[in-house]
Amino acid sequence: MTTYTLSIFTSNTIGLLNRITIIFTRRRLNIESLTVCETERKGVSRFTIVIRHDSREAVEKLVRQIRKVVDVLAVFGYLDHEIVFNEIALFKIATPLGGVPLNIKEINLDWNAKVVHWGLDYVVIEKNGTEQEIAEFYHYIKNWEILEYLKSGRVAVGKTEKGLVEYLPEGDWEVV
Amino acid sequence: MAAQTQTMTAAPKNKEPEQFLTGAQAIMQSLVEQGVDTIFGYPGGAIMPTYDALYDYQDKLKHILVRHEQGAGHAAQGYARMTNRAGVAMVTSGPGATNLMTPIADAMLDSTPLVCIVGQVKGNLLGTDAFQECDIIGISMPITKWNYQVVDANEIPEIIAKAFHIAESGRPGPVLIDITRTAQTDKMTQPFKYEKKVDVISYRPRVVPKQEHIEAAAKLINAAKKPYILAGHGVLLANAQDELKQFIEKAGIPVATTLLGMSAVDADHPLYVGWPGMHGNYGANVLTNECDVLIAIGMRFDDRITGDLGTYAKQAKVVHIEIDPAEINKNVFADAPVVGDAKEALKALLPLINTNSYPEWRAEFAKYDAIEYEKITKKDLFHEGDQIKMGEAVAMLSDKTKGEAVTVTDVGQHQMIANRYYRFKKPFSSVTSGGAGTMGFALPAAFGAKMGAPDREVVAIIGDGGFQMTIQELGTIAQSGLPVKIIILNNNFLGMVRQWQQLFFDRRYSFVELQNPDFITIAKGFGIAGHTVSDRAKLSESLDTLLQSDKPYLLEIICEKEENVFPMVPAGACVTKVILE
Ligand SMILES: Cc1ncc(C[n+]2csc(CCOP(=O)(O)OP(=O)(O)O)c2C)c(N)n1
Ligand SMILES: [Mg+2]
Repeated sequence: MTTYTLSIFTSNTIGLLNRITIIFTRRRLNIESLTVCETERKGVSRFTIVIRHDSREAVEKLVRQIRKVVDVLAVFGYLDHEIVFNEIALFKIATPLGGVPLNIKEINLDWNAKVVHWGLDYVVIEKNGTEQEIAEFYHYIKNWEILEYLKSGRVAVGKTEKGLVEYLPEGDWEVV
Repeated sequence: MAAQTQTMTAAPKNKEPEQFLTGAQAIMQSLVEQGVDTIFGYPGGAIMPTYDALYDYQDKLKHILVRHEQGAGHAAQGYARMTNRAGVAMVTSGPGATNLMTPIADAMLDSTPLVCIVGQVKGNLLGTDAFQECDIIGISMPITKWNYQVVDANEIPEIIAKAFHIAESGRPGPVLIDITRTAQTDKMTQPFKYEKKVDVISYRPRVVPKQEHIEAAAKLINAAKKPYILAGHGVLLANAQDELKQFIEKAGIPVATTLLGMSAVDADHPLYVGWPGMHGNYGANVLTNECDVLIAIGMRFDDRITGDLGTYAKQAKVVHIEIDPAEINKNVFADAPVVGDAKEALKALLPLINTNSYPEWRAEFAKYDAIEYEKITKKDLFHEGDQIKMGEAVAMLSDKTKGEAVTVTDVGQHQMIANRYYRFKKPFSSVTSGGAGTMGFALPAAFGAKMGAPDREVVAIIGDGGFQMTIQELGTIAQSGLPVKIIILNNNFLGMVRQWQQLFFDRRYSFVELQNPDFITIAKGFGIAGHTVSDRAKLSESLDTLLQSDKPYLLEIICEKEENVFPMVPAGACVTKVILE
């Protein structure tokens, strides 16, 4: 299985998320993660979708089907080495009286994570990184009681000099 | 102010001149300015304001009241297939809209332009499970080329123009616009302005192919020893039948048409070799796996054509001319893809193609034709048994109409037989539901086709099963008085399913025999004349009666009950594994 990151640029219209996800559902493709946000250009949204697949050809077909959606402006499929990518994870860790104290210095310096909220008997730690880095940190922090854990989908930019406008169809793309 | 004055003249006379249009009036005015002349529809609560506006537009817009919304959709499809313009259907919310889903799905698969205007509950009721509310945007999303919910009257002209643009351009398809009752009743707050020419920035289909693609394709074609063309619906949708003719005549290449591309080439053209696919011709199938360059024009390699992709045309280099880039390499790898409109592509290719002829290669097709004739055609056409065969009835119809009628076929054995034995002499003459295989398509589609091409003889050819799926549209036809000619090829079976049960399920006939009504009495009840023929000796005069009628007419032909359609490539099999008997 290879991980593919799809960057999908769309006009910002209602229902578009649905229109895009049904393309995956129809092909029984599992979406590993999905992030939607506005871009630096007015009216343009950006979907970052991560999937795993063992056929590059199938992913190419998928990309063409997505490109076909009327409100989609551009679609790119990337391999991991072609992008800079990251995720953000939040860990709510119990800090009961008398428990083993967290090693904040280690968390900061060795794990490049930080406590972003101090509760009465818990803390919230934020860790940014790749899936793997977050998984490794998870493994470490598991030594304390994890009350809650969640992470965002991937965000990614291509390793090219080009900016968004160069991917979009010709037009007046107003900067936000 | 100029735009404003224009709006005033556009408003119906009985309205105050200083008023802006209501959303409902804007819908009507948009349709008029778009050049629409016919709407197939059915009223109901959520679309009533628009029907009220239609009352004032009856001199500009012909509205056909169907008997079921499915009928409206299929009629709009038939209309579109004749005119190459979007057919328009207008229905109410909830059940009215859901009844339209089958034709929309059908139009999506068969690339038929439709604009469906659907009423929706009032804006403030959206999402409350209101009376006749239904998330039709959600439901229709996977089966429309584009859909949109209008909640603001001001949006209407722009959205309708966009709808027609998307439905008709590129690879055509169905578009649905869901308009809340509030958006219909509210007045616009700005002057009405309709701009037919729209540019949708995220949707700019390539029409003119890239020259380097054309050159690569020409190179492959010129080097071919055994080239073979498959021409699909895209040829007709691009109105490229003349360019195709010039192309094949210069290049000397044998050409088959797909079921949807049927009639794009004159059936008697010496280079025409029939159709490929499950019930297509012997040579047209087998030789797919012997050609060295396969040139696909405006077609999408449907599985009913390719059978087993793993063995399909593996020896051939493939030139794929197609307007929808998502079809390139989807099922069959293209060595030379050409993205663009079929007409533009053929025009660009023509000067680069060498004049040629391939007598030996063409003789291969003739060889298979001869076998097919002996094993199948002869038996179908010169049958000695008591009962009429579907094939002889269609062949006789073809002769009597000189191959110039429009046949509108339903789905089943009769569909395959009709397309097999009707010798199409003119383009835009076969209307059928190919991709979806929707039983019930033909009767309303034939009516729509007649509306779209009133000067042509339109003959619906329908099975006894499918006829009962949209039988109520006899009412629509009767009310219009249009001379739609209807033939039921009655084998008293869901014949195609029975054939599969016979061949692949050990003759275990599971729920395929019908107790049919007296079709002629039913037609008479609707005010349509007709008669039944079961005697071969009377077939000819029966067809004459049908064809000579200047009113709608129903001819029921009682056919052999357990006839099978051959040739047949079993589903998913290699195209060379043709069953001949
Ligand atoms: C709406 C719909 N339901 C079911 C089918 C499956 N089906 C395909 S052909 C066929 C039989 C059609 O019978 P009839 O209309 O009598 O035509 P015949 O094959 O006998 O010529 C059926 C049931 C279909 N294509 N469409
Ligand atoms: Mg039947």
